[in-house]
Amino acid sequence: MSYYLIICRSLTYAQRTASALEKAGISAYMRRTPISISRTGCGHSVLIQGRYITRAMEIISRTGLTHLGVYTTDDDGVYQEVSL
Amino acid sequence: MIYLDSAATTLQKPAEVATAVARAVGQVASSGRGGYTSSARAGDICFQCREEVASLFHVPEIDHVVFTFNATHGLNIAIKSLVHVGDTVLISGWEHNAVTRPLYGIEGVIVKVATGTLFDREEAIISFETQLTEDVNVVIINHTSNVFGFILPIEEIADICRRRNVPFIIDASQSAGCQHLDFEALGANFIAMPGHKGLFGPQGTGILLCSDVPCTLIEGGTGSESLRQEMPDFLPDRLEAGTQNVHGIAGLLEGVRYVRRHGVEYISAHERGLIRRLGKALGQMDEVEIFLSSDPRYQSGVLSFRVNGWDCETLNGLLDQQGIALRAGLHCSPLAHSSGGTLETGTLRASVSPFNTPREIDQFVRILKATIVKY
Repeated sequence: MSYYLIICRSLTYAQRTASALEKAGISAYMRRTPISISRTGCGHSVLIQGRYITRAMEIISRTGLTHLGVYTTDDDGVYQEVSL
Repeated sequence: MIYLDSAATTLQKPAEVATAVARAVGQVASSGRGGYTSSARAGDICFQCREEVASLFHVPEIDHVVFTFNATHGLNIAIKSLVHVGDTVLISGWEHNAVTRPLYGIEGVIVKVATGTLFDREEAIISFETQLTEDVNVVIINHTSNVFGFILPIEEIADICRRRNVPFIIDASQSAGCQHLDFEALGANFIAMPGHKGLFGPQGTGILLCSDVPCTLIEGGTGSESLRQEMPDFLPDRLEAGTQNVHGIAGLLEGVRYVRRHGVEYISAHERGLIRRLGKALGQMDEVEIFLSSDPRYQSGVLSFRVNGWDCETLNGLLDQQGIALRAGLHCSPLAHSSGGTLETGTLRASVSPFNTPREIDQFVRILKATIVKY
């Protein structure tokens, strides 16, 4: 199964992002940002299932939340940045 | 004991506060530092508390709700962000040392005081109108005097500041949780408040509402942007270096929920009612001079008084022996006492919370009367 990881600049931003997605019915999980893809060191991200990504990005955009990048991952733990 | 010192800290809290703190001590780790459950739980508590606070005070962005250790901590951040060497600052005549001492510590700052008659809101507005001249860089307003309970007309003063484009700070130490406070409508640069008074949190909690990105007072780890040596330039991380008091914040969350459940109007009305009752009773005693507003709308749950022939600390000591917890002296606010004409003597101060009852007020008055007669 594929997932998307939305990289946020702070814990509070990740919480706001997850909260906005949950309110829209999209299951969102808080994660520590993997150090291999973090550009600034420790950080927080929001993990969602691949099928929700388009709607999730619409919601994020609508609520004025910003993110530092979006990565796709399978169950193998390899992350690849995507442009949405 | 009859506790009448809620202006210093609310001793009686909703039962949920202590329960939440105890639970947090056993189950909650550091917020934002780990991916494991107890750290995530800590993060959830902080997030929920920010959401509740943002709703209570009408803060559009919850990131702008910053946790501090008390109101003084928040005021120091706000003052040191806006006030620079040699600036001119206009303050009310009712400020606490939490405002005047940080100002005193900044080199070359000129402090102008907009003072006036106690409980005269019109005079306060005129004083700010007159003294807010072009040389003023920053305004600081105490929403409610911790000595006299005088509720200043902050909406009107904020309007003056906005019209003249002067940044301003509100000290909501005595008003947060018991008076209406709308951060967005006021347009303040900062509002600082304690968690442990009208919001019923534990001591060691406070909140700073920010519309600006402020200077840092302390620097350190935030759990974000670890590769950078500069502090993050975004809130709340910029101001929340080091491990936060999440156990305290867990209690504060329940305190804020209590306020929202009961409503600021209910709490305010209850406290005002007790103070009018106390004022009426003390006003009938010849030896007692009370500082009571003629308009109950403009006095919070705080009443100062003096007793003829008595040193306030001496009388307070005798009352303490009989189970009455009041506060005497200058209440860390010599400027307010100077404005109120009580600097030489200080006052005795009774301050109430929703947990006080009319019966407690009557009992206190009986003990005070007996003490004055006996000694």
